[in-house]
Amino acid sequence: MNDAAHAVDMAADWGGGVSPFGATWQKTMMWIFIITDALLFSGLLSGYAYLRMAGQSTWPATRDVFSLPFIALMTFILITSSMWMGTAVTASRLGDRKKALNNLILTICGGAAFLGCQAYEWSHLIHEGARLTSNPWGAPQFGATFFLLTGFHGSHVFSGLVILIITAIRTGLGKTPAQGVEVAGLYWHFVDLVWVFIFTLFYLLPN
Amino acid sequence: MSATADSNPYGIYRVTWAILLVITVAMLAAEHFHMPRWFLVLFLLAFMAVKAAMIGGNFMHLRHEHRRMTIMVAGGIVLTSLVLLAVITPEARNVKARTTAPPLPPPSSAHSPE
Repeated sequence: MNDAAHAVDMAADWGGGVSPFGATWQKTMMWIFIITDALLFSGLLSGYAYLRMAGQSTWPATRDVFSLPFIALMTFILITSSMWMGTAVTASRLGDRKKALNNLILTICGGAAFLGCQAYEWSHLIHEGARLTSNPWGAPQFGATFFLLTGFHGSHVFSGLVILIITAIRTGLGKTPAQGVEVAGLYWHFVDLVWVFIFTLFYLLPN
Repeated sequence: MSATADSNPYGIYRVTWAILLVITVAMLAAEHFHMPRWFLVLFLLAFMAVKAAMIGGNFMHLRHEHRRMTIMVAGGIVLTSLVLLAVITPEARNVKARTTAPPLPPPSSAHSPE
């Protein structure tokens, strides 16, 4: 069977015209990607839980290691950037391109500020003696879990920034449809969602 | 809520943002109130779940998606995570109990003198 006949056969078999879940394929695929990515973080957080519960040494009290007001500032930045992202998505859907672009730029600034804070936090902790296999505060696994969890999250923030910069440029040029902004927004909100879990489970949970 | 959404389509994001901030401050302040550890942990986990639901529902618009999509996303992630935790928690305790248990006496001392 040649390619054209095969394509016709496939289309006839499905029928076409009805989107799964009533969503565009881009949005559906982003949701499926988010599920797989959430399971990655679920595995990482489970590994962290195991190390913290099974380890012999005392887990460091995070308030002795981190400046919690600084971590709260990072959380504030990320939550605020998510609000701007939601505004950009709705503005794009309503056809207000200028508002969408402005809010995308604000979101990018928020994401860049978060990454800057994370770079400062990492350099500060490394200066204090935190390493992947050791640290001055307690259980040796603490450093590995900190760098892995925040590192994976930070790499997602960085990827999100790249996606947002491309989306903002294309929105400015009038080349991104509303659903493109929405799909980029889904990814950005997911990054915020993951931080909610890391913030609570790693930074706040008491010994 | 619908009246707010009708008059201002961006209002839901500002309201969600404000609630998320209030919850975050409450979570940070919680450790300064001398409450039992189990209650503090429960408090933090409950508010973490509320924050996650608000981000998923309002920012990601999951509550406006097709019901099956919502079940697939929320159910898939939550159930898998719970299974992982349900398996890992007892195993971690088991490993810790075995490694912290006092060493067994040497075999010779196990026999009573005749």
